[in-house]
Amino acid sequence: MSVDKVKLPADADAGKGGLIGTLKAMPKRVYHSVFRFRPLPKTHMERSQAVAANFFLHIHSAKTTERALKFRTTLGLGLISLYLFIILVVSGVFLMFYYVPSPDAAYDRMLDLRGAVFFGTFLRNLHRWSAHAMVAVVFAHMVRVFLTGAHKAPREFNWVVGTALALMTLLLSFTGYLLPWDQLAYWAIVVGTAIAGYAPVIGEDLRFILLGDYTVGGEALLRFYVLHVVVLPTVLTLGIGLHFWRIRKDGGLARPDTDEE
Amino acid sequence: MGDHELNPERAKKTEERSRRNFIAIITAVVFGVTAAAMGLFNLIFMRPRVTYGSPAKVRVGRPDSYSPGSQLELPENRIVVRRQGDKFAAISTVCTHLGCTVNASDIGFACPCHGSVYDVRGDVMGGPAPKSLSWFRVSLAPNGELEVDKNQVVDPDTYLEVKV
Repeated sequence: MSVDKVKLPADADAGKGGLIGTLKAMPKRVYHSVFRFRPLPKTHMERSQAVAANFFLHIHSAKTTERALKFRTTLGLGLISLYLFIILVVSGVFLMFYYVPSPDAAYDRMLDLRGAVFFGTFLRNLHRWSAHAMVAVVFAHMVRVFLTGAHKAPREFNWVVGTALALMTLLLSFTGYLLPWDQLAYWAIVVGTAIAGYAPVIGEDLRFILLGDYTVGGEALLRFYVLHVVVLPTVLTLGIGLHFWRIRKDGGLARPDTDEE
Repeated sequence: MGDHELNPERAKKTEERSRRNFIAIITAVVFGVTAAAMGLFNLIFMRPRVTYGSPAKVRVGRPDSYSPGSQLELPENRIVVRRQGDKFAAISTVCTHLGCTVNASDIGFACPCHGSVYDVRGDVMGGPAPKSLSWFRVSLAPNGELEVDKNQVVDPDTYLEVKV
């Protein structure tokens, strides 16, 4: 059954009383064109339709298990990861307004963020601490999934997607680490990419492509910046979409066979 | 084959199926090759032809600006230039472990990152470093300055003799 078949109150007013009537009904029509359900849905069917018809709610299944709603089932770790990612995207976009990925400017811009930008210190710290937290929370989420056996069939592929997301999180952390262009960042990336250079056969080439040069310099900063603000977040966003969609398609959160439906 | 002769209808179906298979395989091959080529092109694209980093050949001043028995650390170029008598040499200060810049110390060189220690010749005395520090070719540039080529690694104890 489609949502359109539900009779909306505004439909009744339309077409009555000519132009004046149409104008009078206009606000309601506009409202109902955006929000499809009013008054609040009463039957189970209407409720499930209300969820399915809402862009933000349709991520949820119409039905769920009591177990899935208990906090201690997941400790909310997956959602916390998502929220941290959202915080990181938003604060990251704000930081981009004041950051310049060039060796001459990057460090000064970072200092200016602390000293000359309204709420800049807060913004930078929010981004930095959320990034640290995301790595920790993603790891905790992985442990929770493993310990509750949620990586087993039919969710094996989603476990693989999840490990890819964890890897993306680490790569985002790594690429973001260079951007302040201070001593700590610089040497961390010198050491980190030297480790990549130790990879057999492709190591040296991999390092060269990653840095865009033989040493960590302007090219490396630009490459890490592009990876950090465009490539990796896009891939991660798509991956999160796939991850969540698979949760739905695999029948919601994992639960013991002994649980009632 | 025998089946087809007996049943023309079925023979036609099999033929159609094999034609469809053929087209599917050709399409898969074309797409696969294109995707592989694009992947390769992307990789080549990401591999710069020109680098903007510090040049491999660096001029490090006139020989007479060094006093005999001294050595000068050039952290920008990540080398030390050493003068012994009238002989000159350049040693890399890039730690062979993970690429930090080593500092000259009383006994040779010491890496601040993970504690690798080298002797004055650049040979490993301790720590995680797997190799000795490189020695680079030193030559005299036309303008009379010493020139170090960091692309040319030479054997340790290779010096350039200059009449100062």
